[in-house]
Amino acid sequence: MSDHMDNGIQSNNKKGIVMPSAWAFVVSGFTFALIYVLNTSFGSLPAIGKVVDPTNGCWQNAEAINKKLNNSYVFPALNNETKVWFDERMVPHIHATNEHDLYFMQGYIHAYFRLWQMDMQTRAAAGRVSEVVGETALDFDRKQRRKGMGFAAENSLRAMEANVTTKQMLDAYTAGVNQFIEELHYKDYPLEYKLMSFRPEPWTNLKVALLLKYMADDLTGQTDDIAHSYLKAILPEGDFELLYPDKIVGSTPVIPPGTKFDTPSLPYPTAPSDSLAFPAYKTSDFGMERERGKGSNNWALSGNRTASGAAILCNDPHLALNLPSLWYEVQLQAPGLNVYGASLPGAPGVVIGFNDSMSWGITNNYRDVKDYYEIKPVDGSGNKYWLSGKQLAFKKRIEQIGIKGQHDFTDTVLYTIHGPVTYDLDYNEQRGLRRMLAVSWTGHRASNEQLAIYLLNKSKNYNDFTNAIQYFECPAQNMIYADRKGNIALWGQGQFINKWKNQGRFVMNGSDSATLWQELIPMSENPHAVNPDQGYLASANQCVTDSTYPYWYNGDYTEFRAWRINEVLSKTNNATIADMFALQNDNFSVLARNVLPIMLSYCTQISNPRLDTLRKWDYVLAANSTAATIFQLWWRNLYSDIWKDEFSRVPDYIIPTQERTMQLVMTDTALKYYDYRRTKKKEHLRDIVLMSYRETMDSLDVQEKGIGMQWYHAKNTSVTHLTKIPAFSFTNLRTGGWGNTVNAMKPHHGPSWRMVVQMGKKIEAYGIYPGGQSGNPGSKYYDNHIAQWEAGKYYSLLFMPNTDKQNDKIKFTWNASKE
Amino acid sequence: MKRYPTILAIVSTAAGAGVLSMFPPWWSVAIAAAATTFLFRLSPGRAFLSGFCGVGLLWLVIALIKDIGNEHILSTHMAQLFSLPNYAAFIAVTVLIGGIVGGMSAWSASLLTSRNKQ
Repeated sequence: MSDHMDNGIQSNNKKGIVMPSAWAFVVSGFTFALIYVLNTSFGSLPAIGKVVDPTNGCWQNAEAINKKLNNSYVFPALNNETKVWFDERMVPHIHATNEHDLYFMQGYIHAYFRLWQMDMQTRAAAGRVSEVVGETALDFDRKQRRKGMGFAAENSLRAMEANVTTKQMLDAYTAGVNQFIEELHYKDYPLEYKLMSFRPEPWTNLKVALLLKYMADDLTGQTDDIAHSYLKAILPEGDFELLYPDKIVGSTPVIPPGTKFDTPSLPYPTAPSDSLAFPAYKTSDFGMERERGKGSNNWALSGNRTASGAAILCNDPHLALNLPSLWYEVQLQAPGLNVYGASLPGAPGVVIGFNDSMSWGITNNYRDVKDYYEIKPVDGSGNKYWLSGKQLAFKKRIEQIGIKGQHDFTDTVLYTIHGPVTYDLDYNEQRGLRRMLAVSWTGHRASNEQLAIYLLNKSKNYNDFTNAIQYFECPAQNMIYADRKGNIALWGQGQFINKWKNQGRFVMNGSDSATLWQELIPMSENPHAVNPDQGYLASANQCVTDSTYPYWYNGDYTEFRAWRINEVLSKTNNATIADMFALQNDNFSVLARNVLPIMLSYCTQISNPRLDTLRKWDYVLAANSTAATIFQLWWRNLYSDIWKDEFSRVPDYIIPTQERTMQLVMTDTALKYYDYRRTKKKEHLRDIVLMSYRETMDSLDVQEKGIGMQWYHAKNTSVTHLTKIPAFSFTNLRTGGWGNTVNAMKPHHGPSWRMVVQMGKKIEAYGIYPGGQSGNPGSKYYDNHIAQWEAGKYYSLLFMPNTDKQNDKIKFTWNASKE
Repeated sequence: MKRYPTILAIVSTAAGAGVLSMFPPWWSVAIAAAATTFLFRLSPGRAFLSGFCGVGLLWLVIALIKDIGNEHILSTHMAQLFSLPNYAAFIAVTVLIGGIVGGMSAWSASLLTSRNKQ
C-alpha cells in the first residue's frame, strides 16, 4: 500500500524545502471534503459524522439502564433548599418551601426530560418550524401566523404579566428552564436536536403563552363555518336543518336536562336578515377536504353511587397520541399547595389532577368560538376595507419566517376589526374558497388561563374551583369537579359571545357591523350543574345543554360516547374503581346496536358466514374482534354511499354526522338521499344497504388475505413520535375501541391521559398515559408506559403528604439549594 | 530513522483522539490521527492503518460501553432510523466512519509531510 502511494508525482523546489506531491493534495483534499460532508446537514439528513461521534453525538443519549439519578444541585436563583423525589416511574415529587422555588424546579425538570418537545411545540404554535426543517413547513408556518397565533400569545402574555401571581410563576418557571439550557453542551442535547441539526434557544414567558395557545388552537381551531356556508347554498330549503341540526335531538347533554339555568343578564340579540349577514357561495368556490379526531370523556359520581361512599372523578382527554407525550406527570408541593396530575411540558402547574381537597378534569366543550368574516377590501388600495359604508385601514403585522438553508420569507398579515385575515388570494383557504376571510377567535383575547391553572391547583372547595375557572376563557372546556366532602359539579366553561341565532354558523358578511361579535356572556352564567339528583355528571364532547339554556350557541358535538356513558352510569350503583376502569376501557358501540340489526334485516336471504359472525356479535369493538372489522367497514361504506353522490364535492368531514345518519337510518327508509343519482330507479334504504354490503365483502376478501381480520389490525392505533420518524414510534397497538365507543382509540388519537380518583378519606388515584416520563428515545423511560396503557391497565399514583419526609417508594433524590 | 511499532502509533492516535474529542468539534479526532503520523513519521500505509485503527477502536470502545449500559435501546432506534438490519450494524457504521476519517487524515498528513526518498 505504502509503495503504491509513494509512487505519486513528487517535486522539490530548488532551495531544498520539501513540497508535498500532487497526490498528497488530492488525498488531503478528499479528506477535507469527507469531513465537511460528514459535518454538514443536507435537507432532512443529519450531519452523520457529528451524530455518530460516540463522545458527543447520539451515543451520549444512550442512557444507562441502571443510571442513578441522585444528585445535588446549586442554583443561585433558588430561595431555599428544594427537594425532588423521583418514584420508580420517574414521576418527580417536587417539595419546595415557596412557590418561586417550586415553579423554578418544575421548569428545570420539564426541560431536563422534555426540552426538545417544548421547543418544537412552541415553534409550531408561533409558526417557526421552517427555521429548523426548511421550506417543507413554510405553508404550515404561514397558516399559524395568519391565524394570529403570535398575536394571541402576545395578548395573553400581557394579561399574564399584568397579574403579579402569574408573572412570578412564569418568571420562576422560565428561569428554571433556562437554568437547564445554560448548562447544556452539544453532547447533552436531546437526540432530536442532533438529528435535526439545530440547538436549543433561551426559553421565554412568551413561549409559555404560545404553548397555551397551541392547546387552544388544537381544541377550538376547527370550525365548520365555511362548509356550512357552502351547504346552505346548495341544499334545498329545509334540508340543511334536517341534515345538520345545530343541536341533535336525543342528546344526553353535558348539563343534565332539567337543570335550572340562571335568568340571563343579557337580552337575546336580534339577528340581521340572512342576506345581510351571510355572503352566498357557489359550488365553484370550493374544493378539497380534511380530517377530524379529538374528543374526551370525564365524569364524576357522588358518594351515593359509589361503593366506598366517596365521590369518584374520572377523566380521559383524547388527544393526538404522540411521543414524547403531551403530558408529563408531576406532584407539586409548597406551603398551601399539594397537587398531583398531568402537566404540560412548557407551562407551570398541573392541568388535570387532584390535590388534597378536590379533583378536577376537562373535556373539550366544542362550543363554537371561532368565526369567519368575509372582508370587502376597498378597490385598488390594498390598505383599507369596508365596514358599514366606511373605509377602515388594515393594521399590518409583518411576519418574518426564517427558513433553514434559504432566505427569510416575509408575509404581511392584515388585521381587521374582526381579527387577522387568514385567507386571501395569496394564501387560499384549504377548500379553495378564493375570498378574503378574517377570523374572530376568543383565543385572540388577552386571557390568563395560567391563573386558572394556578388557582385550580390550590382550590380547597367548590367556591375556590368556581373562582379559579373564571379565568379559563379559551379553549372552552367542560370542567368537572369532585371533592372529599362528596360534592360533584360540572361547568361548560369558557368565554362565550352573546350571539344571535345562527351567528357564526356560516361565514359572515364582514362589511356590515351588524354581524360583529357583541357582548360577552358573564362567565357565571355558563351552563353548570352541582350535585344533581341523578348522582353523577358526565361530559364526552356532546351537546352542552338542552334547549332551555337561554343563550344561543352552536358547536361541533359528538354523541355516541355520551349516550353510552350516561346509559352505564345511570345504572351504576355501588361503583368501584374497577368499574371506572372498565368504563374508560368500554368498547361497546351504541352505533352498532342501533344500526346493525337494521342492516342485517335486509340480508336475511343471503348466506355468508360473515353475516353469522355479525348476528352473534355483542357490539363490542374488542381488539381481536372480527365482527368489529366487518361492521365498521360495512358501516363506513353505507355511510359514504348514502351521502357520496349528493355530496361528492363536499369535504368528507362535513357530510351529516354519523349520529344524524344513524337517526335517519333508524327512522326513515325512504329518505331521498338514499337514491343513487346515476340510476333511473329510485333506491330505498334496502338497496343502499345491499350495495354497501357487496362492496364490503369484496374489500374484506382483500383484507383477509392481507393484514387479517382482527379489529386492531384493521384500524391500526399508533403512538407516533412528533417528527413522524417510524423508528421512534409504535404502530398497530393491540387495542379495541373506535370513535363511537367510550374507549375512543382511533389511529392517531385516543385516551392521552386516563385518570380515576376516589376522593375518600384517603385519596386513591390511578392514571396512565401512552409514553413515558423521558422524552429521550435512548432512555428506558421513553416508552415504558405503552404496554400497560395498551392493555388498559393503570398505575397507582403515589400522592405524598406535604411533608419533607420521603416515601419508601422513592428511588432517586435531588437536593437543590442556593449555595 | 527509528521505526516505531505500528501498535504504538495506534495507541497514540486513540489516546490523542480520546483527549481531543472531549472538546467539540467531533472531527478533532482527525487532528490526533494527523499529529501522530507527524510525530511518528509514519509512512502513508502505516499512517492509514494507525489512523483507521486508532480512531475506529476508540469509537468502538466508547460506543460499546454506552450501548451495553443502555441495553441497545438507542442503537436499535438509530439502526431503524438509518434502515440498518440491527443495532450491531449501527455500531459498525459508527466505527467505520470514525476509522475512515482517522485513516484518511493520517494518510493525508503522511503524504503532505513525506520527503522524496532519494
